Amino acid sequence: MPLLATKYFGKLSCEPADCYDFPSGIPGYEGERTFVLLNLPGKEPLVFLQSVQTATLCFLALPILVADPQYRLSVSFEDLQILELELTRQPHIGGEVLVLALLAIEEGAAATANLMSPIVMNLKNRRAVQAIRCDFAYSHRQPLRGLDRSGTC
Amino acid sequence: MLVLRRRAGESLMIGDDVEIEFLEVNSQGVKIGIRAPREITILRKELHLTEMQNRAAALNIDPEKLKWTAK
Repeated sequence: MPLLATKYFGKLSCEPADCYDFPSGIPGYEGERTFVLLNLPGKEPLVFLQSVQTATLCFLALPILVADPQYRLSVSFEDLQILELELTRQPHIGGEVLVLALLAIEEGAAATANLMSPIVMNLKNRRAVQAIRCDFAYSHRQPLRGLDRSGTC
Repeated sequence: MLVLRRRAGESLMIGDDVEIEFLEVNSQGVKIGIRAPREITILRKELHLTEMQNRAAALNIDPEKLKWTAK
């Protein structure tokens, strides 16, 4: 099992099944094509998206339905093509795709979830995209309740 | 916000260098053309916001201190 250098957790062995291919990278990080999904004991439902190429790049994320239980996907035709999913309907969250909201935790500000641009990962072929919505139905900085970051809890 | 009305084929200037031409208007949307110096970045707003938010999401955190407390 290959060892992966991670930003926060030292070297971890990772399963190929947890690797996802982002054919177009993600905005701001277009060169980053492979991320590993890290589930760490005691941190659920939080997950980490660790870049394989760049050890210092790691995102914190939440399953989108944890961030918003009523969330409705709207993946564009182009993104469905990249994911190699059926083009005529939206994919099923959990069944066909894993959908994550990236979290931003900035000093002195509330933690926020990006519901405008979810990470959509095809569970079958491990292709993934950041599926940017253009309908502005959800915020890119949705305040998040339920995340304790004091370490006292 | 400045709001003004233009028809297809008309355009407007932002400063001396940036021209926005309204090429086509129909019920589906508006097709616009932009003439601007090469050094000006033009992005769809949602892509720009996503890029900025990704940068914020990539900042250092302390995972040891994080705990999900919602039911």
